[in-house]
Amino acid sequence: MKEISFITRRLLYGIVLVVGVTFISFLLMVYFGPDKTFELIGKNPTSQQIAEVRQSLGYDRPFLLRYVDYLFELGTLDLGLSDTSGEPVESVLARSLPISIALVVPGFILGNLLGLGFALFAAWNRGRWPDKLIMGASVMGMSISFLVIIIVLQVFLCTPYGLNIFPVRGWQVHDFSSYLHYVSVPTLALVLVTLGYNTRFYRAVMVEEIARDHIRTLRAFGASSFEILFRHVLKNSLIPVLTRVMFSVPFVLISGSLLLESFFGIPGIGLVTFNAITSGDQPILKAVVGLTGVLFVMALTLNDLLYGVVDPRVESS
Amino acid sequence: MHSVWQRLKSDHYGMGGLLVVALFALATLTVWTGLFGQGWAEVSGNSWESTSAAHWFGTNLLGQDIFQRTLFGAATAFEVGLVVTGFSTLLGAILGGLSGWYSKGWVDEIILWIKGVLDSIPFYLFAAAVAFALQGRPWAMHLAMIVTFWTTTARIVRGEVIRIRQQEFIEAARAIGLSQLTILFRHVLPNTVHILLVQATIVFVAAIKTEVILSFLGLGIQDGVSWGLMLAESSQEVLAGHFGNFIAASAALFLLLMGFNLLADALQDATDTRGAMT
Repeated sequence: MKEISFITRRLLYGIVLVVGVTFISFLLMVYFGPDKTFELIGKNPTSQQIAEVRQSLGYDRPFLLRYVDYLFELGTLDLGLSDTSGEPVESVLARSLPISIALVVPGFILGNLLGLGFALFAAWNRGRWPDKLIMGASVMGMSISFLVIIIVLQVFLCTPYGLNIFPVRGWQVHDFSSYLHYVSVPTLALVLVTLGYNTRFYRAVMVEEIARDHIRTLRAFGASSFEILFRHVLKNSLIPVLTRVMFSVPFVLISGSLLLESFFGIPGIGLVTFNAITSGDQPILKAVVGLTGVLFVMALTLNDLLYGVVDPRVESS
Repeated sequence: MHSVWQRLKSDHYGMGGLLVVALFALATLTVWTGLFGQGWAEVSGNSWESTSAAHWFGTNLLGQDIFQRTLFGAATAFEVGLVVTGFSTLLGAILGGLSGWYSKGWVDEIILWIKGVLDSIPFYLFAAAVAFALQGRPWAMHLAMIVTFWTTTARIVRGEVIRIRQQEFIEAARAIGLSQLTILFRHVLPNTVHILLVQATIVFVAAIKTEVILSFLGLGIQDGVSWGLMLAESSQEVLAGHFGNFIAASAALFLLLMGFNLLADALQDATDTRGAMT
């Protein structure tokens, strides 16, 4: 009974969040968004022509009905036509999303694994020089802008001023070696920009875990460092680690790809969004903003439900 | 607060960071008072001149002086940082305080809901949406950052207020009949100042870094020059072998961010009474 009430409460909260997210994107993108009446109308329109166009765009409908329309568009994935290409928005998204996933996944995984590795090493040597070195490097990494990292890597790896072994722009991927050719520099950029933050976060988690009594007992009984770190410390800190990984997925996918793709000219969801921003393509933007918000809330809710089932203590908090 | 300063003073990295930040603040003041950096938009030489006595860092494509632009960029960074940090910290303190004071009540529920909603939209998308709705008004970027950055501050303040609320001096304040809001704003929130200070330095870093990205995406500074705009210019120039703009902007950016990060860490250590006891 307690489980059922927990699950319904969590689902209800998820729905309330979805309402909020879609309402904000509706307000910003649709209600206060640009008025398209005069783009669609000829010169010297009569007031009747204006009214007709406004009616066809739905501008004369009441506020709440327009919001419900927007919800239906998102729910049925019937997202209208792009203003710039005239293509259905859902097919633009279906084409570009896989490219973005292929672009950011290697960097995302590597950045987290390397961060975990450095964090374990630093936490185990807490206060000694390896710890200080790693933490110092992390702060330096956190002080370098993503944009600077991308430009430096591009100059050193993609131009005659450096090694000149990778392409400056583009995404001509047809097999695995061409994939590696185009994904390497963006991956390196993503790893470098996330590594500092990941290492610091994971180190804090590990330090807390290593300070626990049972780890001290294990040490006293002569367990090997390897056994303690991998069988006990890493295993027990899995929940905060996995939570961070799950929550950063939509942010890395959207924010990371936005900059990487607009810089390297890769036709994924980030470049689609960037072009929609610069050209004011409202149907694309309102779909991207609304859908990302909804997907994030769904991931959040699922995450909480899973932990609630796995770990009964989560319920009370 | 006095002992915080004492502990900060013994932290060499933190004091180094503070010095760097102070130097940049001084540079900003010279721009704001009209002493230097006023010629950032002026065409004063040929394209891509190298460093000289007249142009310390050389010139850009249009023949504008890169040193002046870097200096003006520092002022822009401080303007963005101060406005965003000021308003988002204020908002975070007030809303976080209210939500902690009335925790589990309807005020708390509503504030947590707003926070949850804002945290569910990836930040750059949200900034794009705000800029889109405001159609390129110069404050769109500031507004987008303020509206999203207060949530972290509020979460931390909320936790602290819940902790403070259970202490005896609050019970005493209640007993002598002070009103709820008086206790919250006069006696509880002032005790969270150290947390707000640390959080403010972190927000400052985030604001400067975000300005760079948003300016590159065309959603940032509309008039004036910033390090982000200089980097956006340089992304094309470096492919042609002109590195002046890039080196000046990225070095200035790195120094200021590093200074702030070191300061933030030192402040965190100096205000963490839990760490000091063990």
